[in-house]
Amino acid sequence: MKLVRLRYTRWFNILRDGISHKNPIAVAVLGICSALAVTNRVENAIAMGLGVTFVLMASSATVSLLRSFIPSKLRMVTYMVIISTYVITVQMFLAAYFPVISRALGAYVGLIITNCIVMGRAEAFAVRNNPRYSMLDGLASGLGYTLVLIVVGAVRELLAVGTLLNAQVMPDSFTTWTVMALAPGGFFIVGLFIWGIRELIHYHEAA
Amino acid sequence: MKSYTRMLTFIIILGAATSLIFVGMEFWTTPLIEANAAIELRSTILDANGEAYTTATVNEVFMAKIETVVQNDLTLYVHRASGSVSYEFSGSGVWGPIIGIITLERDLETIRHLRVLQQEETPGLGGVVADPSYLAGYFGARMVPQLDFAVPGTDRLPNQVDRITGATRTSNSFRTILNNSYLSYLEFMQEVGD
Repeated sequence: MKLVRLRYTRWFNILRDGISHKNPIAVAVLGICSALAVTNRVENAIAMGLGVTFVLMASSATVSLLRSFIPSKLRMVTYMVIISTYVITVQMFLAAYFPVISRALGAYVGLIITNCIVMGRAEAFAVRNNPRYSMLDGLASGLGYTLVLIVVGAVRELLAVGTLLNAQVMPDSFTTWTVMALAPGGFFIVGLFIWGIRELIHYHEAA
Repeated sequence: MKSYTRMLTFIIILGAATSLIFVGMEFWTTPLIEANAAIELRSTILDANGEAYTTATVNEVFMAKIETVVQNDLTLYVHRASGSVSYEFSGSGVWGPIIGIITLERDLETIRHLRVLQQEETPGLGGVVADPSYLAGYFGARMVPQLDFAVPGTDRLPNQVDRITGATRTSNSFRTILNNSYLSYLEFMQEVGD
């Protein structure tokens, strides 16, 4: 019985929306640029996913806390300032404590600033909900994004180099698909994935 | 009018708060980032001379094996055992500075080792300049009369290396940086070498 009731609680709906029903990549088609760029390796996908999730949660919570002070004309500017502050903080933190990861991610950490998901959630959710739910919404969208990145990254890494998280999986005789390491491979896999998840949740855009 | 004052106050408070966060982060992380950079420089020089070390012992081994000589703005790192000389080179690439470490053999003419530590070239094209497998092609090349690129269809001379395909401007800048830094260090190296 409890499980049935769970389905109607607000936090369950927010989590489900973020991860599947309103998945930022598959349904809203936001943040595609980074999804194509960093998914050639699973470890990059995980690091990028965690970074985006943290920035999403932190910026959603901040926007939500400030929502009654932000002048409506300055909404966008304020979001940008808040998001950039968190991203630059993350970047400095990584450079100080994890120089190797920071080097591997290179410019992509800075590019979280331009990730539409962060701005989209701030405008669509955080600005009219309380901090608790806004943070949950950020977590849900972040997880939805991370999930897609990891699945796409796993397929691409497996086919392009025959490894998973740098551990050899495919037999040595396996011919690697170079196209999967390049941008077109990203488009193929992300496209197939969007189709799959949309079929799964019966989401069809009106013609 | 009132709404404008409110907006202005909001902008000023937001700007002040974020600046404060950045100043705090800067104070907190700068020493750590500088320490990381120093470790990277030292481990690169130890790699170049084939010395073994771990992240915990890098400073110790560096002090024991390498002699640091400073003159004006120039710093040379001399390997005590082999006499090979390392220095840091820097200069402008296409989009930003290219900084790296070059190690020359005892003759001060032959490249023993080369690493790029920092660059902002186009990823995938000029970015290849930081790729160790590309830089490995420089090992053994000679800096005299000056480093240059191999001409297709002719025999490769001892001072010639490969260009980066699709990155003419990065290749040219990199060659210029290496040649200029060599000239500015040459006199000092000869002094130390004697």
